[in-house]
Amino acid sequence: MSVNAWLKSQRPLAGKALLLTVWLNTANGLLAINQAWALAVVLDAVIFKDADLSEVHHWLWGLLALFGTRALIVWLAERSAFQAAASVRATLRDQVHRHLQRLGPTYLSGQRSGALVETLTKGIDDLEGYYARFVPAMTLVMILPLAILTAVMPMDWLAGLVLLFTAPLIPLFMILIGSGAQARNQRQWKQLARMSAHFLDVIQGLTTLKLFGASRREVAVIARISDDYRHSTMQVLRVAFLSSAVLEFFASVGIAIVAVLIGFRLYGLAVPVPAWIPIPEITYLQGLFVLMLAPEFYAPLRNLGTQYHARMGAVAAAEQLIQVLDAEPTRIDPGTEPLAAARPLGVRFEDVHFSYEPGREALQGLNFDIPPGQRIALVGTSGAGKTTVVNLLLGFLVPTGGRILIGEQALAGIDLEDWRRHLAWVPQQPRLFQGSIADNIRLGRPEAEPDAVREAARRARAAEFIDALPLGYDSPVGERGAGLSGGQIQRIALARAFLRDAPLVILDEATANLDPESERLVQEGIDELALDRTLLVIAHRLNTVRRADRILVLDQGRIVEQGTHDELAGTGGLYARMIAAHGPRAHEGEQA
Amino acid sequence: MNELRRLWQLFRPYRVWMLVGTLAAILTLLANVTLIAAAGWFLTAMAAAGAAGVAMNYFTPAALIRGSAMIRTAGRYGERLVNHEATFRLIASLRVWFYQHLEPLAPARLQQYHSGDLLSRIRADIDALDNLYVRVLVPVAVANVSIVLFTIFLLFYHPLLALSGLTFLVLAGVGLPIWSQARGLVPGRRIAEDEAALRTAVIDGVQGLAELTLYGAAERQAQHIDSLSRRLIADQTRLSSDHGLTQAAVGLCASLSLWVLLWIAIPLVDDGRLMPPQLAMLALFTLASFEAVAPLPQAFQMLGRTLAAAHRLFAIVDTEPAVAEPSTPSPRPERFDIEFADVRFSYPDTPRPAVSGIRLQVPQGTRAAVIGATGSGKSTLFNLLLRFWAPDSGSIRVGGHDILDFHGDDLRRHIAVVSQHTHLFDATIRENLLIANPDAPQAAIEAACRVAQIHDFIAELPEGYDTWVGETGVRLSGGQGRRIAVARALLKDAPILLLDEPTEGLDAATERDLMQALDTLMVGRTVLLITHRPAGLDWVDQVLVLDQGRELARGDVSVVPQAMQAALLPLRAEAETR
Repeated sequence: MSVNAWLKSQRPLAGKALLLTVWLNTANGLLAINQAWALAVVLDAVIFKDADLSEVHHWLWGLLALFGTRALIVWLAERSAFQAAASVRATLRDQVHRHLQRLGPTYLSGQRSGALVETLTKGIDDLEGYYARFVPAMTLVMILPLAILTAVMPMDWLAGLVLLFTAPLIPLFMILIGSGAQARNQRQWKQLARMSAHFLDVIQGLTTLKLFGASRREVAVIARISDDYRHSTMQVLRVAFLSSAVLEFFASVGIAIVAVLIGFRLYGLAVPVPAWIPIPEITYLQGLFVLMLAPEFYAPLRNLGTQYHARMGAVAAAEQLIQVLDAEPTRIDPGTEPLAAARPLGVRFEDVHFSYEPGREALQGLNFDIPPGQRIALVGTSGAGKTTVVNLLLGFLVPTGGRILIGEQALAGIDLEDWRRHLAWVPQQPRLFQGSIADNIRLGRPEAEPDAVREAARRARAAEFIDALPLGYDSPVGERGAGLSGGQIQRIALARAFLRDAPLVILDEATANLDPESERLVQEGIDELALDRTLLVIAHRLNTVRRADRILVLDQGRIVEQGTHDELAGTGGLYARMIAAHGPRAHEGEQA
Repeated sequence: MNELRRLWQLFRPYRVWMLVGTLAAILTLLANVTLIAAAGWFLTAMAAAGAAGVAMNYFTPAALIRGSAMIRTAGRYGERLVNHEATFRLIASLRVWFYQHLEPLAPARLQQYHSGDLLSRIRADIDALDNLYVRVLVPVAVANVSIVLFTIFLLFYHPLLALSGLTFLVLAGVGLPIWSQARGLVPGRRIAEDEAALRTAVIDGVQGLAELTLYGAAERQAQHIDSLSRRLIADQTRLSSDHGLTQAAVGLCASLSLWVLLWIAIPLVDDGRLMPPQLAMLALFTLASFEAVAPLPQAFQMLGRTLAAAHRLFAIVDTEPAVAEPSTPSPRPERFDIEFADVRFSYPDTPRPAVSGIRLQVPQGTRAAVIGATGSGKSTLFNLLLRFWAPDSGSIRVGGHDILDFHGDDLRRHIAVVSQHTHLFDATIRENLLIANPDAPQAAIEAACRVAQIHDFIAELPEGYDTWVGETGVRLSGGQGRRIAVARALLKDAPILLLDEPTEGLDAATERDLMQALDTLMVGRTVLLITHRPAGLDWVDQVLVLDQGRELARGDVSVVPQAMQAALLPLRAEAETR
């Protein structure tokens, strides 16, 4: 769908407010014609008919009523124009954000958050120019000039013709000047997105820049990027200013011609047109009325010219929105069946293939079983495909071949939301969200009682350090867990998983960043957790996997061996070699 | 209003631009008013002359109309160019200004701010300052000059006309702005906050989507963002309604001014004290003169948002860095021993010191390890040594010089930190590595990557070192990203090496290779390692065991097992009674 068609297709979201805006502005324009007439009558009466106040005062009171009514209409029109765009903006922001959520983490990993933030904030706001300004202006340009021509023609068709023939020049030149402007608007958007993405990246990595003494160097980069944005903004504005100057120029010329034609005839000079054209006679009243309407005639056209630029801003923003909305979620037809299997869950991978890009298979026909209630460990060197397996299980990726079974049910057919309700997951680098520690533990069960939160924290061995904080569970935490150590963040994430109480738990390096004692304690917690659940543990350090019922060894996208620790240690395969590489640390778990 | 004065200080370098822009704007406005008034006079005079059959000079007024039409068009174009160019130059320089004040605050003072909030400041809040220049300062100057000129002009005709004109101009140009400024204050502040909250929520929602989705919290996040969005729009709606109201009120003021003028002037015409063409001229003049004040109510309404933005920017700019930079040049140490002398430090608003009574001497070229459980104060020692925080008492010396005598950057030039907690930037692998040393040749880059056990992996990538790592390195696996971070630190080649769990999260084989490679790298450097794993420390010369910020033991590796045993007893007891 073209951007224009898309923008049009969203118009119903504006509701009746858009129509109301047009009606109000039309009414205002019609009243302006009446006002010009009343004013012309008063001036004409006083100037040429020697009228005094008593003869014109009823016209003056009429004018006062017109002024008041028009002021009220202007106010209401502004309100309804804003309202029209407000509904579109609120709805679209929600829609686009929810679509991003459906696209999932895999899609987002290829995007820049700073740019997406701009799309969702300023991009949505820029749509206002289209719905609140351009669309009404577009409709009014077809109504008001015609209404004014209808009023002018009977008075003075000569001036009417001048208006009629100069009017199309304005949109013509507007289009000529604006033809390159769309590209400039797009460039401006790109610069803005780049600037925002860069700023966010720098802000999030400021400490790293300082560690490397690079934070001062960054000043030059910030200056350059800000300046590039200024440059592209000015390029857009220059066109807008130029076209508005041209519009003003043509409107002035049109009004001047009308004024000259009226003035000459009033003075009694010959109008410079061929003699065979019968020039209409004109009175001062008619002349003044027509002259006062001339600027009103051009006003909607000029306004359209101005709003045309607002439209281009909206189009550039809409392109970003469409880019997001057009992206297809990885899972094209989401499953609808509820999860059939009862807890604990069993999982089976049947010949599962996956590739991030054609020709490079990350998983090459994976076959394995995770029997219900068992504890399975997945080990392998970095890049072997462990995280891919997790992402497939979480439903963020879809196998390019083979299938994943949950019990006897294909994962592809299961409603993802229902499936995920049965999962708990602790990622390698857990993220904390804006809010308190309690909020973060409650992430998966917002209604959980404070006691349950405490119990989960205790089991994750997080209770002790949380209680030591001045605000305890109400301590605010930032995105990177400001003020907390890596091990503490890890334990909060674990508490999250404990509180979730899910039948299948996936722990990705859950005990990294912990000192041996905490690790041992957390491990005990995990043992408790494993009692009536299925557990998949991803590990680099092999001491944490010894207690697994079965160990799957992954190498270059294949399961190369599986068995218990003792079985595998004896075979002399990859696992045995990994243990050997582990050296003295392999026994660390036993010592602790 | 204090903010206004400070903003004005920032605007000072652009005074000449502003003067030129203001003069152009005044000229444009006067040309426009002249055009409209002269046209009214001209038409009426022509009609009067025609009716009376007398001759009149119509060339001079026609030339005046032509001239002012051209000045108006050209002037408006020029005025907009000058004022916007100046504004955006100013805005661009303010971003640099803000960053220069933000940078010294990291990381100590920025912990409490979400990156979305800071992003909103450097992006949206700085942008909001443009209102002050384009819409407030210049138009206020223009309005002041024009109101005076218009009143003087009307005085030529009748004092009552001048009084009425002045009254309505002041009503529209002073009264309405005061009203709308007061009305805009609260929504303006809330909009600044809501915009920041929205950016924060979007960043949390985007960067944390995997966890939100898994924990069924995505829907809540969507609702949260939707409610922020609607709150923002509700405040904007209120502003927009007020804006419509003042817009209507300015129009009404102009109309009423005309209306009162007619009541005053019509008897004057009847008396012959005012010529008929002058009535038409004054009528149109009155309507046109309100262009001078029309933009003011909205500009003052948005002042609330502008001042809130300024307040948020100054809040960061005014924050004192956690450690002040010395005024004297940094010492140039010849040796790189590290000494902690009775160091004590507490983070703000915490009851218990993070570390206290820390004594440690690491002679140049030797290796020391700091061991302790999570939260025992190990990272605090690094933060102090890196001069991110300053000790409350005691001192830290490098090469015999107190580190507080160094400028932060000068001190950190001597230190390389190997840790995987550093940030990978949204750039290529090469660019991420070059942050450590922009001039590093390819050979040095590859050597560092070999040590970090990542060169082979990079070499196999289709785009090699030019592979884009994605935001926070998301396109790499955890282990790969960590090793690139390690390689970057190695590329720095500094005499002091701080190792922060360099092998955490690596598989055993990689870990062993990395440690062997690091071992050769450490030769001749002063090394400080922090770890929570007491195992495998045979290669260090001394060990400091920390427990809850205090020294538990210090000496060679043999002190570790006993100390650890002692430290962990309480924990263990708790675990057993459970």
